[in-house]
Amino acid sequence: MTGGDVARTGLVVLLFLLVQQTIALNIVVAGAHPDVLLLLPIVTGLGAGPARGAAMGFAAGIVADLFVPAPFGLSALVGTLVGFAVGSLVNYSSRSPWWVVPGVALTASAAAVMLYAVLGAVLGEEQFLRADLAAIVLVVGVANALLSLPALRLVIWSFGVNRERGTLAAVGRR
Amino acid sequence: MARPRRSRRTLTVVVVLVLVSIAIITIDERGGSRVSSDLRNAASRVFAPIRKGVDDVLRPIGNFFAGAVNYGSVAQENAKLQATLGRLRQQQAEQAYEQRQLRQMAALLHLSYLGSLQTVTAQTVTVNVSNFVASIGIDKGTADGVALGMPVVGAGGLVGQVVQAFRHSATVRLLTDGRSKVGVSFGRHATQAVVNGEGSGDPLAVDFVPPGTPMRKGQVLFTNGLAGAEYPNGIPVAFVTSYDTVPGASQMTVVAQPMANLHQLTYVDVVLWEPAP
Repeated sequence: MTGGDVARTGLVVLLFLLVQQTIALNIVVAGAHPDVLLLLPIVTGLGAGPARGAAMGFAAGIVADLFVPAPFGLSALVGTLVGFAVGSLVNYSSRSPWWVVPGVALTASAAAVMLYAVLGAVLGEEQFLRADLAAIVLVVGVANALLSLPALRLVIWSFGVNRERGTLAAVGRR
Repeated sequence: MARPRRSRRTLTVVVVLVLVSIAIITIDERGGSRVSSDLRNAASRVFAPIRKGVDDVLRPIGNFFAGAVNYGSVAQENAKLQATLGRLRQQQAEQAYEQRQLRQMAALLHLSYLGSLQTVTAQTVTVNVSNFVASIGIDKGTADGVALGMPVVGAGGLVGQVVQAFRHSATVRLLTDGRSKVGVSFGRHATQAVVNGEGSGDPLAVDFVPPGTPMRKGQVLFTNGLAGAEYPNGIPVAFVTSYDTVPGASQMTVVAQPMANLHQLTYVDVVLWEPAP
């Protein structure tokens, strides 16, 4: 990664943080709000492969942890695992059907929410499992599915991918 | 041969990141929260003005979408509020009597009142930043005298407790959060109980109420201020919405709602009272 890639990636994380802290927190449906920072490792895993997905998950998770009164590092752990899992399990390319990205975003977001709740409970936050998980999974999953396509474009731009060659995933899996 | 090398590098990156995450969590959980606290403090200071600037511009847009999405629930909430208003009018008269009783009891026990304690008024800047933690962020911090563990009141009663205190901001865990526990007393015989949060939006559970305890709907529960308690005595916490005694059970099943309207917390008061260490 060049300095420019790092700067663009930092800008994307900051943009998502701003959206999360300003707009997303105000959109509450059934007691839950979207979590757009969770979308970053998912689309990075899709567009840039498992290593970058994991790294983005760690970075976005640490940033998220700075603003949440919960165990510090928990979001980073979940983000790392989700970014890696999506990048490893989904064979995405620029020729994949359009619905793959929203579909993966929905599924991976749901899995990440559940993982966060379970790991939180393991760390002594048993109340995480008493939260309305169905509502959280639905709201976070649907919101991330809706935002996944523009988010993927942003991430591809941030890593400076040449569109003619497709996404970085193809490059990363060589 | 290049493929396995690439996979090994990817795996190494992931394993390192997972280990670093686990190390951070462990350090934080083992009381090394000073580091995370400092980081959160710095992030709060850096990000607060940015958030405020963007928020001023974007909040109307967010509110528009939130209003459109939540129209049905807003109408429902309005109907509920009308009902609550009527109930509160009825309770007002009853509360006056209970407050009088409480003052008399506290005077006998030489206990302090909230009225004699100093407070700092703060504005709520964030609500429920996590889907898993019922909390609010306020714009007052250690520079204003706010410290960890201080009670926060507003909108009719106890709101919660300060769980993170930064220089110019703080985080308050709400009464409804799953980790919230408040020692309370109620009734003529000052029956002791514990009010537990059950998650954002859910009613409160009142534990350790002995079977056969005289109880009524609308009964107000106050902080008990016992030695070592995390709150001073006399703060209204919740009112009973239902109660039942299951035959053979060691305690009554009591459900309550917070006295404070936790949906309307534009401003709150931090009580400058710290629990005994």
